Amino acid sequence: MILTGIAMVITIAGAILAVSRRNVVHAVFGLAIALVGVALAFLALNSPFVAAMQVLIYIGGITIAMIFAVMLSATRERESRDGVWRRLFAGIAALLFFVALAPVLMSTDFGTAMQASESAWSLNEIGNSLLDQYNVVFELLSVVLLLAIIGAIAIARHEPGSLDDPTATDGGDA
Amino acid sequence: MSTESLALALLIAPLVGSFLALVFFRRKHVIASGIVVASGLVSVIASAMLLFGAGHDVGAITARWFSIGDTPIEFGILLDGRTMIMGAVVALITLCIEVYSLSYMKHDEGRGRFFAFLALFAWSMLSFVYSSSLLQAFIFWELVGLASFFLIGFWYEKPSAVAAAKKAFIMTRIGDVGLFIGLILLFMTTGTLDIPAINTLFAGDGLPEGIAPGRIELIAALLFIGVIGKSAQFPLHTWLPDAMEGPTPVSALLHSATMVAAGVFLVTRFHGLFMNAQQTMEWMLWIAVGTAILSSTMAMVAKDMKRVLAFSSISQLGFMLMGLAAGSLFAGYFHLITHAFFKALLFLCAGAFIHHVGSNDLIAMGRAGAAKQMKLTTVALVIGGSALAGIPFLAGFFSKEQIIGSLPIGAKIGALFAAFLTAYYTFRMIFLIVRPNADSMAVEDEPAHAQHEDGHEHHGPAEPLAMLAPIILLAVGAAGAGYIGNWIGHKLHIEHIEHPSITEMAPAIVIAILGVVFAWLEFGRKGARQTGFVSKIPSMQTLFERRWYLDEIYNVVFVRPVVWFASLCIGAENKGFDNGADAVAHGTYKGGRMVARSHSGRLQFYIGSAIVVVAALALTLGFRNGGGAG
Amino acid sequence: MTLGVWLVFALAIFCLGLYCVLGRRNLIVILIGIELMLNAVSVNFMAVNYYLAPDPSVGQIVVLFIIGLAAAEAAIALSIILSVYRQRKSISIANLEELKG
Repeated sequence: MILTGIAMVITIAGAILAVSRRNVVHAVFGLAIALVGVALAFLALNSPFVAAMQVLIYIGGITIAMIFAVMLSATRERESRDGVWRRLFAGIAALLFFVALAPVLMSTDFGTAMQASESAWSLNEIGNSLLDQYNVVFELLSVVLLLAIIGAIAIARHEPGSLDDPTATDGGDA
Repeated sequence: MSTESLALALLIAPLVGSFLALVFFRRKHVIASGIVVASGLVSVIASAMLLFGAGHDVGAITARWFSIGDTPIEFGILLDGRTMIMGAVVALITLCIEVYSLSYMKHDEGRGRFFAFLALFAWSMLSFVYSSSLLQAFIFWELVGLASFFLIGFWYEKPSAVAAAKKAFIMTRIGDVGLFIGLILLFMTTGTLDIPAINTLFAGDGLPEGIAPGRIELIAALLFIGVIGKSAQFPLHTWLPDAMEGPTPVSALLHSATMVAAGVFLVTRFHGLFMNAQQTMEWMLWIAVGTAILSSTMAMVAKDMKRVLAFSSISQLGFMLMGLAAGSLFAGYFHLITHAFFKALLFLCAGAFIHHVGSNDLIAMGRAGAAKQMKLTTVALVIGGSALAGIPFLAGFFSKEQIIGSLPIGAKIGALFAAFLTAYYTFRMIFLIVRPNADSMAVEDEPAHAQHEDGHEHHGPAEPLAMLAPIILLAVGAAGAGYIGNWIGHKLHIEHIEHPSITEMAPAIVIAILGVVFAWLEFGRKGARQTGFVSKIPSMQTLFERRWYLDEIYNVVFVRPVVWFASLCIGAENKGFDNGADAVAHGTYKGGRMVARSHSGRLQFYIGSAIVVVAALALTLGFRNGGGAG
Repeated sequence: MTLGVWLVFALAIFCLGLYCVLGRRNLIVILIGIELMLNAVSVNFMAVNYYLAPDPSVGQIVVLFIIGLAAAEAAIALSIILSVYRQRKSISIANLEELKG
């Protein structure tokens, strides 16, 4: 219960930080905090393995990649003045969305809760399901990841004849 | 040769001639005119063989065309007295005019086309005359109008010729509408369009069973409207004088045997039907009398020779219709035949003078001394004029006596007055040409008007043989056609022809001679002023010269409103519809521009809009569900 | 703690991510917004799984797939961002209006 509350507070705080800061690096840190909060929420929802994956992949992988991107693009751009109207519009749209859906979610009766057995949340169960019932999806996902890697390299690699170091492509192949 | 093949040859020859001349030899004038004259000759021979060889009332040669319900509509050739005589006359006069045109149109650039149209005209008229069904007759009736349109507008570079052609076409079309409605009504009433069947139906005294008298009156009146248009009776007569814009041989053809004769022929064709419509016949009688007098007054003051003849045609057609309306088929038909001869003759003489002098103006012709240089033509002119005036023992005399003799007393007085005027204006015309004199007070028209009609200087003999031969032939006809009255009557199955007694004939003879004497006093005698009694009353002179202002009245009453309405429609079209369409197009374009501006390419805006819409949807549905639950 | 609270929590994260995607110009920040939205969806799956599902492992597996796909997406997106930056020397979305009609 306490864990749940902490997780929610950390997540919302991190998200607000991520959304509101002008500095992109700060925003990425905010995102990392929010992701930690989500991992805590997964823990609170009785799924330590997914929480661990969340920390590993999101915080360890994606967030670091973003930091790299920020560094590589070296942007110091500021949001211009007319961004105020844009953000106002975005805020109204998001708020409207929240106001529209929140009462529906709160008032909906989802039926009787089911008390799952402890064993169902075990690592064993997940491993078996992945390689048995959801094997096709699992393999598809690995293909998607492979394609994503190749695609990312293809898009991000240096144009031929550019002054940058050609070893980047070699590293991609490795 | 069999009757069928003769009849077919008679009708097909001019069609083939016209087709060949128009399609293949339009620029090879000699070949074109040769073919057309040959086809005319075939028609004359075939029609003569039919007339003299086939006996009378061969009946109809028909072929099924199509059926309406159980009623067959047939296409065919009707051979009886009426068609065979008229056909022979049409063919003969057409041939005369074609031969005449060989010389008259010698130097015209488009004479291949001219001959082709002449043959087309002849074919249409012959087919009309020999038609065995009313529908077929109507088709050829229209073709006659079309051919006359082509010929009146033959010199299409001349704006006045084009205007005259259009006027002729439109004015006759007004009548044709009436004719067509009458035709449909007749079919609805009798269930047939077969001419012999209709004639049989209406042959006896009294109406056939099951046909209301009012219906017959209506049909007759509608058919008569067509006749008014075609035969140039009041109030649709104004096209005929303008039709003089065509070459003179065309006028000769138009006024004698074809076109205007078609209207009168239609009445003779359905005389039985018309006789059952007493009220309409009464109207017809008075319209005819009025037209005859009206057009005679116009002829009295006209200076253009062709116009004098045109007005006289209108008045003579009035005479024919008078006779028919008074109930005498023979009188009207007889006058139709004799008139064909002497009017064709008069026009051909006029053409010869015009060709020689280079002017239409009567006074100019007289001063140019045309009469002295063209003696034979002048003699023919006097014969034709005398026949027209009704001088005893020439063609017009007999037929006109028949007509006047058949008339009731009121109409008779009108007809006598018209006959007096006819004699007067005919001899005015003759004296102006034959006896020009130094004391003349007459004034020539402006030289600009007196242009050379066919646009070239005349060289060579004044009376070439090709022109003289038809004139002589027709002069013989004009002099002698009056003596075949009994034979025509026999052919028409009129057993007993009432020849008026000498006391009945006397007034008409006296009147005619009076007219001639009067013309002599004013135009013929030595030292005559040559101005005419009408000119003593200037307002009347103007009235007649301006043709009773009928053209002006029509202009104001009909043409102007139509033109006004047309310009209104143009305005509505240009300003209303076009601008409306433009506005729609422009609006679409502008709207597209405006919508395109909202396509900013900013995905964020698009997504935001979608989200807002989804949210609004969710809100609405949430409230509705909540309301439903509550 | 009911399912409703979890769902509203996820909705809040989602809306913050939405605001970020709609309101910011920096491509990387927009990517951050997208990650937030994905996480909101993950939380949804986990919560519904925890409270309602008869087969509890389904939700976790879906979340694992989401994490995997998010990694792939992030890789592609970042490479695109780098490529755009190399062409325009800017990663502001204001300059990317080729779709304009």
